[in-house]
Amino acid sequence: MDYVTMLLPPMLKGWTVTLQLFFMTLVLAMPIGILMGIARLSPIKPLAWFMEFYVWLFRGTPLLLQLLFIYFGLMTVGLRMERFSAALLAFVLNYSAYLAEIFRSGIQSIDQGQYEAAEVLGLSRRQTMSKIILPQVYKRVLPPIGNEVINLVKDSALIYVLAIAELLRVAKTAVMRDGTFAGFIMAAAFYLLMTAVVQQFFKWLESRFDYYR
Amino acid sequence: MYMLQALDIHKRFDHLEVLKGVSLQVNKGEVISIIGPSGSGKSTFLRCLNRLEKIDKGFIEIEGEVMAENDAHGRARYVDEKDVARLRRKMGMVFQNFNLFPHKSVIQNLTLAPTLVQQVDQGEAETVARQLLEKVGLSHKADNYPFELSGGQQQRVAIARALAMNPDILCFDEPTSALDPELTGEVLRVIHDLALERRTMIVVTHEIGFAREVSDRVIFMDDGLIVEQGSPEEVLTNPQQERTKSFLGTVLSAW
Repeated sequence: MDYVTMLLPPMLKGWTVTLQLFFMTLVLAMPIGILMGIARLSPIKPLAWFMEFYVWLFRGTPLLLQLLFIYFGLMTVGLRMERFSAALLAFVLNYSAYLAEIFRSGIQSIDQGQYEAAEVLGLSRRQTMSKIILPQVYKRVLPPIGNEVINLVKDSALIYVLAIAELLRVAKTAVMRDGTFAGFIMAAAFYLLMTAVVQQFFKWLESRFDYYR
Repeated sequence: MYMLQALDIHKRFDHLEVLKGVSLQVNKGEVISIIGPSGSGKSTFLRCLNRLEKIDKGFIEIEGEVMAENDAHGRARYVDEKDVARLRRKMGMVFQNFNLFPHKSVIQNLTLAPTLVQQVDQGEAETVARQLLEKVGLSHKADNYPFELSGGQQQRVAIARALAMNPDILCFDEPTSALDPELTGEVLRVIHDLALERRTMIVVTHEIGFAREVSDRVIFMDDGLIVEQGSPEEVLTNPQQERTKSFLGTVLSAW
């Protein structure tokens, strides 16, 4: 028990780094993902193609590789980024791609009749998107988004390769140093706590959208 | 002046020629029913009138203003987007599948477009919406959501929603085809009431009895063309064309 209380402060510190990455990625990747999802369906073909290429690139390579590439790769061409910024950039680029796909499929799942009804009522394209289509998309994409957010909690551990002192790295250091497994168990507890909160949050969100079908 | 004039409308989807030169002139206050077998092009024709489908060739004029006409190569060209939008707003549309906005309550379905498009203020839009709901017999459902309503009720809301934009011409695309038989009556009654108000309406329908009762003119379409038109008496009781007779034969014997 004493060991746990001793380990707790550094773990909490690592945890705040994990949380920072988590929230900043979400706040940035969510709107970018929505815009990219819309762009993927744009009648402007080059834009749609570019988005398709982008999604292929970032879904088609390991996030770990992207992390290394952005930090070390850019360093070799003289672009030196701060570790955390590099990690955040990789995460935002990667998660935007996944979210874009979710929003794209969500938008496409809305019945054509909704567009037509908005059209004959005289709504502009922008109004149709913001007032009619997207509000319905949000409800439909909640479950897959919930999945992605849970993945994000766990993927955050990957940034340990950039020697950033996030939760898992702190745990690993302690395990190596003290020869006991307790650090890993505590880390697992932190992750489970985070995913539990995310899961409950999405359950609540989904219930908020229950008022219509 | 015609409320709406469509001349020699041609439309093809890939290799399928759906409309092969259809013309229609609609007078103010006239109620027109378009009947015909499925695949005859009647719904497509209706959708062409308010540009839900773009025509390939032909001429469309609404209240004396051109919306589309042929260029030198005989291909239809629409006037600029702003004018098209303005002209389209003179027409209301009721769909087979209602297409209510599921995330909006009944009253919000009615007030959305007036407030967004016509900049009517919210309070006024709601007053008008409540009057319209009263008219279609659904005042008590104002705060419900579409999924809580029966098909017939949803379609009546859709009619009220179209009316909320105060259109000069109201188009119905098979308004009862998605309904259970016992629910068609309530919708047809509402359309019937609108006909009594001398609203200009174009109704694509399978309901021959209804067409007979409400229409000033019945149009029979088959294979992308108008085969026969005239008063309900002329077309439905004493059809001249073989194709009209055989269509009415199959439809009426199915009753």
